[in-house]
Amino acid sequence: MGRLSAYLIPVIALIICAAPEVKAAETVWSGLVIAENVAQPQRIPPELTRIEGSLKRFFGYNQFQVIGQSQKTLKTGQEDWLATSKFFGLHVDARGESEAGYVLNLKLYKEKELLLETDAKLSKRSPLVIKGPQIGSGQLLLVLVVQ
Amino acid sequence: MKTFEEKWTAWLDGQLTGRELSEFEASLPDKAAAEAEKAEAKQLGELLKRELGARSLTNEEFFSHQLRERIEQETGEGSRASAGRRRKNSSWWTIPRLLWAGTVSLALFLVCMVLVMQNEKPAEESQYLTQILNARVDPVISPNATVSIFEVKQDRVTVLWTEGLQSLPADYAAK
Repeated sequence: MGRLSAYLIPVIALIICAAPEVKAAETVWSGLVIAENVAQPQRIPPELTRIEGSLKRFFGYNQFQVIGQSQKTLKTGQEDWLATSKFFGLHVDARGESEAGYVLNLKLYKEKELLLETDAKLSKRSPLVIKGPQIGSGQLLLVLVVQ
Repeated sequence: MKTFEEKWTAWLDGQLTGRELSEFEASLPDKAAAEAEKAEAKQLGELLKRELGARSLTNEEFFSHQLRERIEQETGEGSRASAGRRRKNSSWWTIPRLLWAGTVSLALFLVCMVLVMQNEKPAEESQYLTQILNARVDPVISPNATVSIFEVKQDRVTVLWTEGLQSLPADYAAK
């Protein structure tokens, strides 16, 4: 019995350490964002804080406002959801999960018109920003972040 | 019929008597030499009996007691030794030793894992960046639209840049 335990303890320890990490459910934030240059910009929404610098450098605007958003917790990696504003809709269809992230099909609708479609592999560490159409003096941006 | 040797031995031991004794002594060629030899043999016999005879124990009970004690002592030592061996065999895998064995095994595993991980090539950075697999715009609505892909590696942001999409009035920025 003692000898058996002596073999079992290290073996169990090895199995526990070598076992693959149990994946927790992750949440994807999808947002429709209007970027504008204004005299007194409002504070950036918290979902965009981590990419604030990139947004400002890349697009040259000083204010970013969310006009539509959705938070979806992915459990199977096969879910789909919709982030909408008054005139736009972003349909996201998750088509599988890999070690690096999720494979997504994105469709941007203006009312019922399909403006843009793209397939992307969304990394858990890397947000995706899509430049949409010009709206007035601003710009529509689509942002997806794994939280 | 006894041989001469048998009669000689019996004569030396003084076991011949009567007519047999007289006949044997008469047959001796040199009776004086024979008598001397008989005397020597008798002396030798007495000497041997005195020196080699079994000693009688004057304290038999004490000797038996010592002997029993010695036997018990040796038997006890044997049983203690075997008990000690049994104890030694059964007590080697004690709980602390088991814990040590487990800890050492785990430590060895971790060391091996660290070494293996160090030898592995670092994963390509692109694996951690979002990748655009493809992008399409509606050619009817936006016939001159183009798409480009940028990766801002320092911020780990991937940008799908579109140009030529139909511009819309500011009303479309409504929530």
